Amino acid sequence: MGEAAGELARPPAARRVLAVASRLGRVGLGVVFLAAGLLKAFDPAEFAHQMSGYGLVGPGIAAVAAPLLIAFETTLGAALLVGFSTRATSAVAAGLLVAFIGLEAWGLAKGRTESCGCFGAYVQRTPGQVIAEDLLFLVLAALSFRGTRPRPRDPSSPPLRPSRAAVSVIAVAALSLAFALASPSLPIDALVTGLSVGRSLSGLGIEGKVPAEGRHLVALLDLADPGAPAVAERLNALAGRAGAPAILVLTPSSEEEKAAFLWSAVPAFEIRTVDRTVLKRLYRRLPRFFVVDGGRVVSILDGAPPGPEDLISLGAS
Amino acid sequence: MRTRRLLPQPRRLALAALLAAVGFAVALPARADAIRCRPMWDFSIEVDGSYPKEALFYQSDSRGKYFIDIPACKSGLLLDLFAKKIVAVPRTLVSRVDGGLQVNDGASTGATAYAYSLDGGIIQFQAEEKKVRVVPALQRPPLTGQVSFDDLLADRAEYREGMKLYRPDADAVAVIGKFAKPIEIEAFFATWCPHCKEYMPKFLRVMQDAKNPRIKLTLVGVPKGFSETPGPWKEHNVTGIPTIIVMIDGKEINRMGAGPGPGPEMELAETLKALR
Repeated sequence: MGEAAGELARPPAARRVLAVASRLGRVGLGVVFLAAGLLKAFDPAEFAHQMSGYGLVGPGIAAVAAPLLIAFETTLGAALLVGFSTRATSAVAAGLLVAFIGLEAWGLAKGRTESCGCFGAYVQRTPGQVIAEDLLFLVLAALSFRGTRPRPRDPSSPPLRPSRAAVSVIAVAALSLAFALASPSLPIDALVTGLSVGRSLSGLGIEGKVPAEGRHLVALLDLADPGAPAVAERLNALAGRAGAPAILVLTPSSEEEKAAFLWSAVPAFEIRTVDRTVLKRLYRRLPRFFVVDGGRVVSILDGAPPGPEDLISLGAS
Repeated sequence: MRTRRLLPQPRRLALAALLAAVGFAVALPARADAIRCRPMWDFSIEVDGSYPKEALFYQSDSRGKYFIDIPACKSGLLLDLFAKKIVAVPRTLVSRVDGGLQVNDGASTGATAYAYSLDGGIIQFQAEEKKVRVVPALQRPPLTGQVSFDDLLADRAEYREGMKLYRPDADAVAVIGKFAKPIEIEAFFATWCPHCKEYMPKFLRVMQDAKNPRIKLTLVGVPKGFSETPGPWKEHNVTGIPTIIVMIDGKEINRMGAGPGPGPEMELAETLKALR
């Protein structure tokens, strides 16, 4: 009552500024959550990896929770954008941000320096930057919450009716969950990773790891993956074929995994370890294969290891 | 007087050709089975619980074959992953070639062989009554606490060899070498950290090449789980490794090494240039 009286006592210009700021805060926060959800949906496995990296949940739980959290964030963003239960959604968003800040602060105190994965695998920030960012988003949440008292209807721009808003929010929830689940199988690697035909080794961040001279088949491979020995077998067969390019495996695996792989798979090709944060920009799922000629990517071969005929024909073209 | 010829000319030629062919055939297997080996610094050799500096692990040009050279052993040891055994190779069949070794593999047929077992990435076996383990360098017991430049290089071949391979920017090294003020550098690193294994040899090479007597370098090895272990890394709020803290007049002016960037000499030279 007192608050309402205070609002009434406020001059119209100040009320208008507050209303505009509140709306901007709500829309801004909606865009932030929608973008965060969608960017993570491109690579839910990486989000699960980042979640388990905090050590609070194991990889199994993280793999299940990741698509659900992605859908939740996307839905929250959509709800804020369409103005659905704004007071409640603003409060939930603020609560989520406070939780994120707490998690980052805890991670920072534990010596964690890796990116949080808040905006997917392709946006890298330090925990300190993330905390600063989340504090800014909290201001948006506060603005959005502050300006959500009941308003008189504006006949010129009627607000979205709750029923339509609810339907939109439910639709976004269903679609975002479906997208997060289906995304790993969708052929969108070219769109969401840094690996594309024509890019140079320095552009990919792997200069010095792949020779700039000559033609090389580069395989990105997780050496600890149960499928890795089968890939090695095919690459070994390929290495012996006349006309096939030199083969080089880049891996984010640890030295211990690399050693175990060397002794068991007996590779006929060289393996080089690359920092995971560098290599992750080039893939969503492993393995991934591409051909580098003269320091530039000339072909990307997604799926199973390429057959000798594919590679030899690539060399001829 | 008639001289008696032992054999007519064509027959002598044929015999000479035959002898040459036999000689070539005898020599051929030895030449064909000679393998070239080059040192592989990613692995260390543990012998009876210690890591002799001279014990080296070599990768060969023959797939699945690696050579283990332990000076305390009478023979060299050839690891054959396909045959799943380690074969003793007499040292007379091993020769030094271009910074590596040439091992006559074919002649070792029938030689003493040892079985080995795998424990993850570690190969372990017993040869000449010595317990031997081939251990990935990063899995060796870590060096922790303050360590001198020379002791670090003596203990870690991968750092020593990494230094040899790095070619720092000469201009940047000159800037560091000529900097007139005293500089204190505290380098926190870990011998178990793959990023340190790449970065630290470059940084140490820069320090070596700069030859600036006004630089006081302190190297501190960090243990695993260092964020929860008391030590100088806590006092300096080190959250990632390697962390190279550069101080002038007791005041911290930069931290290097934690993220990707230019070579250490470039970053340090830029920092020092900005102070001029």
